[in-house]
Amino acid sequence: MTFGPGDRVRVLAAEKPGHVRTPAYLKGKAGWVESVIGTFPNPEELAYGLSGLPERPLYKVGFRQTDLWKDYRGPAEDCLYADIYEHWLESERGTK
Amino acid sequence: MSNHTHEETGSMTSPYAARIRAIEALLLEKGVLTEPEVQDSISYMEARTPANGAKLVARAWVDPDFKELLLSDGKAAAKELGMDPEHPAEFIVVENTPEVHNLIVCTLCSCYPRAILGRPPDWYKSFAYRSRAVREPRAVMREFGFEPPEGVEVLVHDSTADVRYMVLPMRPPGTEGMDEEELAGLVTRDSLVGVNVPRSLSRTSLG
Amino acid sequence: MGGVHDMGGSPAGPVDKGQHEVEDWERLADAINGALGAKGLQSTDELRRAIESLKDYRDLSYYERWVAATEKLLVQKGVLSGDEIDERAAEIERRWNGP
Repeated sequence: MTFGPGDRVRVLAAEKPGHVRTPAYLKGKAGWVESVIGTFPNPEELAYGLSGLPERPLYKVGFRQTDLWKDYRGPAEDCLYADIYEHWLESERGTK
Repeated sequence: MSNHTHEETGSMTSPYAARIRAIEALLLEKGVLTEPEVQDSISYMEARTPANGAKLVARAWVDPDFKELLLSDGKAAAKELGMDPEHPAEFIVVENTPEVHNLIVCTLCSCYPRAILGRPPDWYKSFAYRSRAVREPRAVMREFGFEPPEGVEVLVHDSTADVRYMVLPMRPPGTEGMDEEELAGLVTRDSLVGVNVPRSLSRTSLG
Repeated sequence: MGGVHDMGGSPAGPVDKGQHEVEDWERLADAINGALGAKGLQSTDELRRAIESLKDYRDLSYYERWVAATEKLLVQKGVLSGDEIDERAAEIERRWNGP
């Protein structure tokens, strides 16, 4: 389990063929780990009948809406959360 | 097996209706599935309705210990009320407070706590909801007649993985005298997704 | 950008709040998938992958996508053949439409 709650992370801006559960609108975006959900078999492999093992850590990652959308209509405090697998995250250093 | 009926609108039933019937017939003939297995699966879905969610919410409103359980271990709370949440996925309940309003969506498909609430509504599965709920949640909620009060943060949860989410709405004011069953009657399916809030006793329409 | 199903943030019109009556065949689509899943013959992830791969994703209704994807998976796994499904579906349609 690489990350813990409060860690700043960035979603990889990778293009990966096949079935992925990381939405395009979050790729390359920075946020924080809100919580550790647990470990689960990798859906990218389950989708093709593979075992998906070893299990991968899954995190609830938070983002400021104003960081996701240039035209976001709403207060700066509004947030969005998505459940992202560890292999789609990298550590994000630096200021907010 | 139930009889086929054509749509009442007069338009042709989807060609996929015959295909799924064909698939069913062939799977049964080949012994891949049995009739009881198909019937059990039908019964499974029919038994699950938003009333289950309303029960969880009403109990949480009257019992602080249950509320704590619901927020920390949704499946355990559901089991305590005699529900049978499905195995693989996690079930997480997020709480509305005077500071925070939650909205649930699945942009990639239509993930929804079916094991508790049954089938999601058509609008939840629509391209418009899946596209816009993450980007303009307040505009979407406005279309459902709801505007969060000034100063309330909106938190959107995109169910991208193994978790299914449900909202624990706030208990409407003036409901102190109501029993659990009456309280459950206030909890709409839409309030469990977060596009709206439960019925209140003194309904005021939006602007 | 992601596949056609990966639509978070895309422009779209108002949300249609109408609810259609769930038809028997749609219930059956749910049930077949549930039963296949319960027996470990098909996973949710496989179904999603198959749905996402449908060329007419945007033109099919929700349950039409499910049926098309289920068929795709069953044929891919060699459980059923496209031909026998075609044949049986045609037979069923003939029966429904009457002599």
